[in-house]
Amino acid sequence: MHSAAIDPPGIGWQRVSPKYVTVRLVEWAVGNLLFVAVLSLPLVFVLLGGWLWPPLWLAVTVPAAMFVLALWRLVLIPRQVRAIGYAERNDDLLIRRGIFFQRTMVVPYGRMQYVDVAVGPVERALGLCTLKLHTASPGTNALLPGLPAAEGARLREQLTARGEARLAGL
Amino acid sequence: MKHGWQVCERVSVDVNRERPAVDAGWHRVHPASPFVRGWVALAAVVVFFGRDIFERALQGRELLEEGLNGRILWLLAGGAALLLVTVAGFVLSWYFTRYQLSEGYVRVNTGFLFKQQRQARLDRVQAIDIVQPLLARIFGLAELKFEVADAGESAVRLAYLPIGQAKQLRATILGRAAGVVADGGETAPVPEAPEQVVLSVPHGRLVGSLLLSEQSFFVVLGAIASVVFSVLTESGAVILYLIPAILGLGAAYWKSFNKGFNFTAAISPDGIRLRYGLLDTQAQTVPPGRIQALKITQPPLWRILGWYRIQVNVAGYGGAPGNENAARTTLLPVGGLGEVMQTLALVLPDPGTPEPHRVFTAALNGLDSDAGFTTTPRRARLIAPLGWRRNAFLSTGTALLLRSGRWWRQVVLVPHQRTQSMALTQGPVARRFGVADLVLHTTAGPVVPRLIQADVGEAVALFDQQAARAREARKRQTSEQWLAELSRAGSLPVRLQPPAPLQAPADPTPTTPQEEPRHG
Repeated sequence: MHSAAIDPPGIGWQRVSPKYVTVRLVEWAVGNLLFVAVLSLPLVFVLLGGWLWPPLWLAVTVPAAMFVLALWRLVLIPRQVRAIGYAERNDDLLIRRGIFFQRTMVVPYGRMQYVDVAVGPVERALGLCTLKLHTASPGTNALLPGLPAAEGARLREQLTARGEARLAGL
Repeated sequence: MKHGWQVCERVSVDVNRERPAVDAGWHRVHPASPFVRGWVALAAVVVFFGRDIFERALQGRELLEEGLNGRILWLLAGGAALLLVTVAGFVLSWYFTRYQLSEGYVRVNTGFLFKQQRQARLDRVQAIDIVQPLLARIFGLAELKFEVADAGESAVRLAYLPIGQAKQLRATILGRAAGVVADGGETAPVPEAPEQVVLSVPHGRLVGSLLLSEQSFFVVLGAIASVVFSVLTESGAVILYLIPAILGLGAAYWKSFNKGFNFTAAISPDGIRLRYGLLDTQAQTVPPGRIQALKITQPPLWRILGWYRIQVNVAGYGGAPGNENAARTTLLPVGGLGEVMQTLALVLPDPGTPEPHRVFTAALNGLDSDAGFTTTPRRARLIAPLGWRRNAFLSTGTALLLRSGRWWRQVVLVPHQRTQSMALTQGPVARRFGVADLVLHTTAGPVVPRLIQADVGEAVALFDQQAARAREARKRQTSEQWLAELSRAGSLPVRLQPPAPLQAPADPTPTTPQEEPRHG
């Protein structure tokens, strides 16, 4: 498991399912490839002779740059997925993510207002789900994607039970 | 799946259910309230349809011409009908709006076609406001707003009640929410909690603070720019374009003045009570422990006179931007060091440090590690050339202090038991310099606590310690009923001491009734 300097010491991180890479790949394809395709349209028109502007070099450079950027994102995906981790402690849940921009978050069980489990079409096909924790703060953006469905359900029940046991007001 | 904190439930009412006409606990708002609220609509109808007749009367002509043409008649009839429908709507909405206070809930029923019954738990109250717009004030009426942690609209709005009744209702709600009053049906009225004015803002200082505000800085800048521009282009027409801007600025200043006028803060067993307003007056009550986070700021120009502003996050007020909300979340619009200390003593009766005055002065004006603050490490001075000596944190026994801003000085205070969740973040540049940011999540509002560019080791340690401190603080705080808790702890709420100013040297932890019991 990737462990960085900002993680509290002595935490045994649990990682999310490697199948989540597929979900991210589909998202990547839908987002980036469509974007590059749309950006390539001027190139097509210029090559077909319909357009006089933009010049050829610009029509080639913009989609090419975007394509390189998209490829870079593609290369990062497996590492990003490996960087997602969570750890259940006695009183709180730790969630970490990110390689370049790292974030480690702690959500006390007693502060959780409710827990969401969401499943998208690709996730459903792979038997995964996304868990989201809500506290009274809109800043708590505690998203835990790519959990196996059974683990998601277990975690949801576990978190809810622990939340009730330690429930504090605001 | 949603557990806890279900503060506000909408229940559809079974219309056929048998219910006594007006059972004992149900009350209505003042009959005049729809007219006070909807006077604009009434006035519009009258003006629109009555203008013709009014103009004739002014010109000394006959009110109704010979051979009365049909148009006028239709117009008048239409106007009268619209007026009648509007008034009937007002009367109906008044008749069907009723509220009740019992069994730990406040309930409000509204609507006659689409009924809505709303109930909110009294002990979930985050704040109670009594608002008096100018017209309501003329009629001696007031609106009561009951806020729960929804951050959206007010849970319960009762508009309008006679001012005496509104105050009485506020006292009853707070009394029951605090747990000092037996929760019966209609028992004897609860006396208003005694209050003691702690500080007020003189008019001169309010005007001065507006003149020296950030806004004024840009006004002067804009004025200079426009003068230069008009000289360069040798045209006076620029002044004409500035007229709307001047009007807008005037309105903005007027709003701030109107809202900030006569600001007083008082302390009572019910909590902190703020009053302000010139034409529209407002009285807010924030019970103890409802303040989630606090921010003290000092714009550069205010430093000349040593002024500060204090803003807070209260769960019920939410984070919606806007002038009204900006006023509601302001705990102290402008004040000197002494007033800041007094206000801090209200919010944090137990500062959790033996020398609060030194600590908070260092937080407000200090640099480097005086009074025990931990700053950004020296190696990160390249990414924070000005701020690295100022960015700092300090954790007292009861709250976390975050200091930042060399020119726009800022201090954020988060009580330990109010921490919701936390995140440690680090980007590539920060990693290069071995620093990290710690973000504390709190309810929506003007305060966004963030410790910037702390040493990684220290940030991680603080992250861990803070989680533990928040846990400990939460365990200590058990009940939402703040005065009942105190009664159990042995100190009676009838005794009201003025909050000891923070600089009291003899008593490091000033004991006020608001203080939470340390050992149950």
